Amino acid sequence: MAPASEKKTKRVYAFRPADLLAVLLVLALAGVIAAVFFTRTVGQEGLYAEIYRDGVLVRTMPLSSDAEAVVQGLYRNTVTVRGGRIAVTSSDCPGEDCVHTGWISGAGGSIVCLPNRVEVRIRGGSGPDAEVR
Amino acid sequence: MDARKITASAVLTALALALSYIERFIPLNLAVPLPGVRLGLANVVTLAALYLLGSGYAAVILLLRCLLAALFGGGAAGLLFSLCGGFLALLVMAAVKRTAFFSVFGVSVLGAAAHQAGQILAGILLMRSGYLVGYLPFLLLVSAVTGLLTGLMAAGVLRAVPAILKREVEQS
Repeated sequence: MAPASEKKTKRVYAFRPADLLAVLLVLALAGVIAAVFFTRTVGQEGLYAEIYRDGVLVRTMPLSSDAEAVVQGLYRNTVTVRGGRIAVTSSDCPGEDCVHTGWISGAGGSIVCLPNRVEVRIRGGSGPDAEVR
Repeated sequence: MDARKITASAVLTALALALSYIERFIPLNLAVPLPGVRLGLANVVTLAALYLLGSGYAAVILLLRCLLAALFGGGAAGLLFSLCGGFLALLVMAAVKRTAFFSVFGVSVLGAAAHQAGQILAGILLMRSGYLVGYLPFLLLVSAVTGLLTGLMAAGVLRAVPAILKREVEQS
């Protein structure tokens, strides 16, 4: 192998200042998306949760009254409303990311169980109504 | 077609499949409780393949890995996610590598970010919910870190790979 190409190859595999730009680019993108998405979400009055399975609304639960619901898809999610907040409190799906997401209470918030293809969304108040469909 | 490249592709495919399985035992989602958060170990193979064999071979290895991982227990929904994420990542990485502006690290970070964007895209397709975009900022933050880590691993692999494969870098 020629020494020149050896040098070139080594440079390709070493961290260089330009790579910091890549990191900054990703962080900036995250900031912009977060700013656009979350500024549309505030308001606590009249909040309710919608539960979707396979993109279809299967149940609506007001956050003002404590309740529990079971969503059965490929797996079984138990959704609990308590004290104005909502969470997936138990699930038999692999990973249980939905349970680990914990309690959410703000309009626009959502809990997703990908294995079960279930999504819990909080709506109402002055939350976002212009969602993409 | 080159027998050496085909053999290397087979080895890399097996390696990627093994890594995507091992990855399930790294509980990164306990630290960051979001769906789709993973270290992206299999992406190290995609990166290495891209640099050693070129984008065509990298695409074939990626496709085979996704299909095999689905057969080995990922399921059809998992397949859509890994295909969307994997191919968007490969597309971005191949394009970014071509500019020669970044090293493996920058290419890896942008690839990891594209992988997350691709998975969100798959989620939006599958669940028909634009709300999933709300997860993207968090996933992008995570990808900046995991992308650097997988870049570090890929750089180590590429430096250590025998010269017999490295010769391909100049040819392609």
